[in-house]
Amino acid sequence: IGLACDRGYNPDAVAAMSPAGCPHVSSFKVDNWKQNLRVIYQCFVWSGSAETRKRKAKSCICHMCGAHLNRLHSCLYCVFFACFAKKHIHEHAKSKRHNLAIDLLYGGIYCFMCQDYIYDKDMEQIAKEEQRKAWKMQGMPHYTALVISPRQHSTGEKYSTWEPTKRELELLRHNPKRRRITSNCTIGLRGLINLGNTCFMNCIVQALTHTPLLRDFFLSDRHKCEMQSNSCLVCEMSQLFQEFYSGHRSPHIPFRLLHLVWTHARHLAGYEQQDAHEFLIAALDVLHRHCKDDNGKKANNPNHCNCIIDQIFTGGLQSDVTCQVCHGVSTTIDPFWDISLDLPGSSTPFWPLSPGGDGSALNGESHATGATTLTDCLRRFTRPEHLGSSAKIKCSGCHSYQESTKQLTMKKLPIVACFHLKRFEHSAKLRRKITTYVSFPLELDMTPFMASSKESRMNGQYQLAVDPFNNDNKYSLFAVVNHQGTLESGHYTTFIRQHKDQWFKCDDAIITKASIKDVLDSEG
Amino acid sequence: MSKESRMKATVNQKLTEMGERERLKELLRAKLTECGWKDQMKAHCKEVIKEKGLEQITVEDLVVEVTPKGRALVPDSVKKELLHRIRTFLSQHGT
Repeated sequence: IGLACDRGYNPDAVAAMSPAGCPHVSSFKVDNWKQNLRVIYQCFVWSGSAETRKRKAKSCICHMCGAHLNRLHSCLYCVFFACFAKKHIHEHAKSKRHNLAIDLLYGGIYCFMCQDYIYDKDMEQIAKEEQRKAWKMQGMPHYTALVISPRQHSTGEKYSTWEPTKRELELLRHNPKRRRITSNCTIGLRGLINLGNTCFMNCIVQALTHTPLLRDFFLSDRHKCEMQSNSCLVCEMSQLFQEFYSGHRSPHIPFRLLHLVWTHARHLAGYEQQDAHEFLIAALDVLHRHCKDDNGKKANNPNHCNCIIDQIFTGGLQSDVTCQVCHGVSTTIDPFWDISLDLPGSSTPFWPLSPGGDGSALNGESHATGATTLTDCLRRFTRPEHLGSSAKIKCSGCHSYQESTKQLTMKKLPIVACFHLKRFEHSAKLRRKITTYVSFPLELDMTPFMASSKESRMNGQYQLAVDPFNNDNKYSLFAVVNHQGTLESGHYTTFIRQHKDQWFKCDDAIITKASIKDVLDSEG
Repeated sequence: MSKESRMKATVNQKLTEMGERERLKELLRAKLTECGWKDQMKAHCKEVIKEKGLEQITVEDLVVEVTPKGRALVPDSVKKELLHRIRTFLSQHGT
């Protein structure tokens, strides 16, 4: 029997190779094996602390050839590291009859008798726990951006593949129908019936249902409602996502959503045409309020809310007021959900900007055509503004009222940035719509508008050190809301992006395919 | 050990010690998922398993079959970026 074991390939062992592992682990699972295994994982596989990392760096080399990589394995029965690629670990296993080894790269357990990696339930459990521990210690991961917007949110917990629970397996078996997502699949697209000038709501709903992180949140059932009544807007949103992804092609009638909006945002009630931007802010606000109950943190402190709305949409706007006399700077940071930009032609002075400059060069826009660009608007938004002698600020440095300049910059960027072009002018004298075309890019780099960029400029670093691989401040366009018509009577439509490169126009109940050119040529 | 393998060993040691190796691994994982490499490889693995048969297949079989294609399919941009990161790291931590 001893000789038969040495031959290696044992058909009985293969048949038994299931989550129960292989029969050869039994000789390993003696005494304090669990703790020993943990130590191996902690020190040589997933080294969490600086100390273990140092030790790993030093000692993990092949005892036979000195190689560092080559799929290094560690014997589970003695202290021996050897490479797999050159079969050095195999030689050790044979000569010492130590039949188990662990892969130092991935933590898999290899059985030389079965001649394959085995999956023992107990050992897998230990492996998972140690990996999670090591990850927490490193406080890692910083996923750089996904090309498809919005950027990935770093959460401090490693992404692990989904393993179904018993209940989930049951559900999957009882519901065998599967939906396959192909590249020309239209799942997630659905028209919305206009209930009487409700296109202002429809256009925003289309944008929200195509916000990837929001979609993922709702489709994975992350909202646990604690509201007693039936008036939770977050639940209704969840329901809406179900409708959009149901596969039904007929337009959806959002009467419940409309009713809830009227209930919670009275100023939007009524059948006259409303402002889509106002609806967006009101919707985000109600969702944020109803979401707060999810976290158990009922704190009313807006700075500590961790609801999905805040995680996705909330950014920080820094306002620096500089005293012109003592040059002291007073800084405040306010949260924001959108960036409202003034347009040329409005009654507010649109500072004539010199062509070029960091913003537009970075975002690949040209001034040849003379068209105003989104980055022009952003540059204007973040320019230092002299507040004038009629608006003196009390300076804490000078202890008196002085003239000052004020400048806005981005302190913290939201994951999804909403830019609002202020086309509707409601000043005392006139009410009109500014139809100036503003060109916007498919990819936007917000680096020049960051507070940190401003600081480096002030420190004399005029050349922005642009790291082409740093995607932290880069955005990809995924939705454009357009208004056609006049202030009194107009119509809203939305372009949304699906499957990375496909664009669709949502006009209430009618969804049509659109080209990138259509999107970029639209007013915005 | 040759000079080259000694240098390789030193670089690897430094990367492991400072935890940079793990960060690079995660960066690589994200990049390869983004560009669809992971899905391509998954599909290829499925093919190999179908060919060889589910009962007979071993991890080693898959590794042997899939590695050459996997190496070839890594986009140049990903290689460039990794290299850039490693260079930057080494220049900052003087080896």
